[in-house]
Amino acid sequence: MGNDERKRPTKKMKYGGKDDQKMKNIQNVEDYYDDADEDSRDGEGEEKRRDFTDLELKPDHGNRPLWACADGKIFLETFSPLYKQAYDFLIAIAEPVCRPESMHEYNLTPHSLYAAVSVGLETETIISVLNKLSKTKLPGEIIDFIHASTANYGKVKLVLKKNRYFIESPFPEVLKRLLSDDVINRARFTSEPYYGGDGFTIGKTSGELEAGPGELLNEAELAAAAEEKETHSFEIDPALVENVKQRCLPNALNYPMLEEYDFRNDNVNPDLDMELKPHAQPRPYQEKSLSKMFGNGRARSGIIVLPCGAGKSLVGVSAAARIKKSCLCLATNAVSVDQWAYQFKLWSTIKDDQICRFTSDSKERFRGNAGVVVTTYNMIAFGGKRSEEAEKIIEEMRNREWGLLLMDEVHVVPAHMFRKVISITKSHCKLGLTATLVREDEKITDLNFLIGPKLYEANWLDLVKGGFIANVQCAEVWCPMTKEFFAEYLKKENSKKKQALYVMNPNKFRACEFLIRFHEQQRGDKIIVFADNLFALTEYAMKLRKPMIYGATSHIERTKILEAFKTSKTVNTVFLSKVGDNSIDIPEANVIIQISSHAGSRRQEAQRLGRILRAKGKLEDRMAGGKEEYNAFFYSLVSTDTQEMYYSTKRQQFLIDQGYSFKVITSLPPPDAGSSLGYHSQEEQLSLLGKVLNAGDDMVGLEQLEEDTDGKALKTRRSMGSMSAMSGANGRVYMEYNSGRQKSGNQSKKPKDPTKRHNIFKKRYV
Amino acid sequence: MPQVKIIAKNFMDMVASLPAIKLDKLYNNVFICEAILRSLPPLAKKYVLQMLYIDVPVPATMMEEWVLADGTSKHRVAIDRLIQLRIFSEISDRKRGTSYSLNPTFQNNLQKHIISGGVLPREPMNSDNAIKLPSLQELETYALKQWECFLLQLINSGQGEKLTGISSSMMKIFQRGLLSQRDKDGPRLTESGFQFLLMDTNAQLWYIIREYILNAEERDVDPADLISFLLELSFHVTGQAYNLNTLTEVQNNTLKDLADLGLVKLQQGRKDSWFIPTKLATNLSVSLADSSARKEGFVVMETNFRMYAYSTSKLQCEILRLFARIEYQLPNLIACAITKESLYNAFDNGITSDQIITFLQQNSHPRCADRVPSIPENVTDQIRLWETDLQRIEMTQAHFYDEFPSKDVFEAACDFAREWRGLLWEDSKRMRLVVKSEVHNQMREFLHTQSR
Repeated sequence: MGNDERKRPTKKMKYGGKDDQKMKNIQNVEDYYDDADEDSRDGEGEEKRRDFTDLELKPDHGNRPLWACADGKIFLETFSPLYKQAYDFLIAIAEPVCRPESMHEYNLTPHSLYAAVSVGLETETIISVLNKLSKTKLPGEIIDFIHASTANYGKVKLVLKKNRYFIESPFPEVLKRLLSDDVINRARFTSEPYYGGDGFTIGKTSGELEAGPGELLNEAELAAAAEEKETHSFEIDPALVENVKQRCLPNALNYPMLEEYDFRNDNVNPDLDMELKPHAQPRPYQEKSLSKMFGNGRARSGIIVLPCGAGKSLVGVSAAARIKKSCLCLATNAVSVDQWAYQFKLWSTIKDDQICRFTSDSKERFRGNAGVVVTTYNMIAFGGKRSEEAEKIIEEMRNREWGLLLMDEVHVVPAHMFRKVISITKSHCKLGLTATLVREDEKITDLNFLIGPKLYEANWLDLVKGGFIANVQCAEVWCPMTKEFFAEYLKKENSKKKQALYVMNPNKFRACEFLIRFHEQQRGDKIIVFADNLFALTEYAMKLRKPMIYGATSHIERTKILEAFKTSKTVNTVFLSKVGDNSIDIPEANVIIQISSHAGSRRQEAQRLGRILRAKGKLEDRMAGGKEEYNAFFYSLVSTDTQEMYYSTKRQQFLIDQGYSFKVITSLPPPDAGSSLGYHSQEEQLSLLGKVLNAGDDMVGLEQLEEDTDGKALKTRRSMGSMSAMSGANGRVYMEYNSGRQKSGNQSKKPKDPTKRHNIFKKRYV
Repeated sequence: MPQVKIIAKNFMDMVASLPAIKLDKLYNNVFICEAILRSLPPLAKKYVLQMLYIDVPVPATMMEEWVLADGTSKHRVAIDRLIQLRIFSEISDRKRGTSYSLNPTFQNNLQKHIISGGVLPREPMNSDNAIKLPSLQELETYALKQWECFLLQLINSGQGEKLTGISSSMMKIFQRGLLSQRDKDGPRLTESGFQFLLMDTNAQLWYIIREYILNAEERDVDPADLISFLLELSFHVTGQAYNLNTLTEVQNNTLKDLADLGLVKLQQGRKDSWFIPTKLATNLSVSLADSSARKEGFVVMETNFRMYAYSTSKLQCEILRLFARIEYQLPNLIACAITKESLYNAFDNGITSDQIITFLQQNSHPRCADRVPSIPENVTDQIRLWETDLQRIEMTQAHFYDEFPSKDVFEAACDFAREWRGLLWEDSKRMRLVVKSEVHNQMREFLHTQSR
């Protein structure tokens, strides 16, 4: 049983560069590139039942936290006493599919196993720990699958030691296999005297220092893991490193190389004098992600996934402070560049003249022989003609050997851009940071091999419970189309105006106005309203007399508006186009109302939510059971019976998989709102309809942001937030991580106090 | 005497709805008196015991003084119940007002019973007798298996499979509501059949027993006898064997039917045949009156519409399949998802969102049962929203008319239809209209006259 139905999650390992031309711009084209990709579960279509009832249950299965199916699916009970250990283990070996409150689902994939191997887990360890945690005997298929997937991965490492590149492996036969390849053989460094035989240099590396799954292994196994291992290596020509790497990729020899940087023994590159300041204490999950990166005393390349607002920058700065070599930090735009530079100064003891920004406006250089440069992807990858000054700086960057290449928001950067950046800058270690690694698209494959595997991924719900990020109440507000708007919506000739019609739906406007009023007057909240559609943005903002910011808003005006939003008691709402998705940091806001969005982009939804995830208020209020159950609100307004409904469901998928739930609200605005809200009378509605229909098709479309090749078009400046808020560790209150879960356990016995609930969420069905 | 029409919500309601003569006859049986006493609300129980040795009517005004001010409503309920069951009889007197007295048969029997205890019409088998009794554990497994087997058959019959091993009298009961008989495809589940599957066991048992009693007369069985026997049965000892030869023929047949459902286990000895009541039978009067005793739930519902059922039972898997998509079946876990499609399927079968939600709440795993709400709000809301979504469209049978000879005829037809309140839609440009089917005949007539 089950065998015939079994389908392995095979994912083509593609190393494609087909998108070179199309993806010129980070902000526009590449943004929300996942519209077309199918959610893995959507794709399954008709009912696919998998019957694994004949797996043999172990007698003490109640004490074990997970089930593993032959097709690679893993179910984890979060209420198991072993949850924490099992979670850390699973997140290392498998891709999380969904992580709600009681039961997580994971998928074992070749990629995830590659990641596992590269953080130092070995095939046998994976199998034996998985077996220990499993309630049933492990299906043979899974054991075979792990063997097959890990056979080649992690066997070969590329090590940059004393500025010489070595290919290292504990298995000499693998090295021989590599050398049988022409390209690699030619790249082998000839100055190394040939002694006959294998001629591999034999060295020793220390085993994993980090505890990891160690606590689950018995002593003998633990001893084996920690034992020093003999490694074989040969040196290759630095000029040919890229070629060798290419040859090792899955589409060729299929021995993808792990990159590790033995920074402690690097005495060629000058040290950078930088330490974390004493107040910069990483939180438990930040610590954990760093321990994955520095597990064996070397620095591993890879990606760390943390939700927005959870303090990614502290992880980045800590990594740089640990390596203590020159660091190149890449951000998506000039605003983030400023923020990163600020973060470095905030968290570390780096001197002002050792850190510099390189954007179209600011071409600084650091003093001395080591330092930190913060710039944008576009500045590096720019293919056109540069100013003389910029050219010089680029040249310097090319010639420098970077200890750490720190890459922010890796999910928005197209693969070709990475390739270009990586070919221009030589770095020992690459660290990618992101909040939303939307999975299963081809880009993940690229990221896996261009940067490295995913090293750590935090669980959103656990962070919420711990009070590290805001507890957001998400709601989808259903706004019925008015009769007239719906009639026009259905007409064929209005196909290009469909979006404008459902966004300008008067009922949606009224719901929006109601929500703004409610949050401004009754709760004193700060509100961001998002609209992708410029026509709608302008109409709404004008009608409601609220300030708005979009791509073309001048820098001075932006600063003025944001400053007012922050300090003035009268400006509590700001309308943003999609320029606000990533680049504008507004830590004060705690309510988002989304009136239009970019089709079915799960990432945009998550990014926008990220704008209000930064935890606010006192920690004890935020914790589960605290004074305010929810302190941030995310509303998505959708016009019923239109395409928006379909998109909306799709958009929410990522957040739902992280354990968020969207409450549907159908009765907004309340029927008694009447003419206190706009567009009450039919004449008003009809004149609005006329306005929409008469606007040119180009007017009602999506906002197109200009290309930001040299950081010029986006002139947003960092809005000076409060220092602590921008640090990503607002309030600097830290606590033991594990208490989050326990607390929630106690909490669950205590029914929620209905008076604590937000008015709108009180009972709807009486 | 208040004439209240009683809708039988439980066994005792059913007893209460029996005609007066039958009720009085029932009270001849000591065990029934005791069973009835047990089923009463606490205050009513107290009144019965208090008045057990009082032979004169007690004035209502005096009884009212027994209760505190805030107990008045309970007092009312107790009195009503006692009157319904004819345990109290009401005596109205101009001078002294209303007073109550106990039903003499009931009173006598209960007095006797309290003093001397009751003796069942049959004795359990001696332990040295020939047959080997099943252990209580085995018996419970047996009962559960029979019950599940019966439900599973019911589900499968929804997929067109024939019921086997169910007696014809039981079959008739199912056909009364749960199954529909079509000649070709055999029995199929009806709407209430699907709904039945989502009820909890007590409710299901009660449903079956109710139907069984209600159609007793079709089988030439006196419902009062049947009730009396069922109540008597509940005083037998679980796991003891009783000789079948102590039973009347009617009782014998009834037992066979009950065995199909797992209420009793029949066992053939060397000489005699025996029946062994299971928990289902001995709890009959209790469990049918009270549904608070719940078994442990097994369903964990997540905010992302995924549902995890800790279950090894094929039956439970089939029940979940009624409204969810089963994705993984593991040795002790069923992973499924509630989707729009799976729910539409359920709604098609006549299951309502409330029934699904109640089922989920009643069966919610102890881990989430004390969470408030036990089923995530967004899930319950969405289930309801999907249901209301289906009800947005109203179907009206209608007729379509076109090719009118002239504008005048068309407009006259429109006016005519409007007058009859049957006009649903008109398109004057192309001269087409749609009219409710109810007025089709009149319309046709009208058009005939017009064309002449």
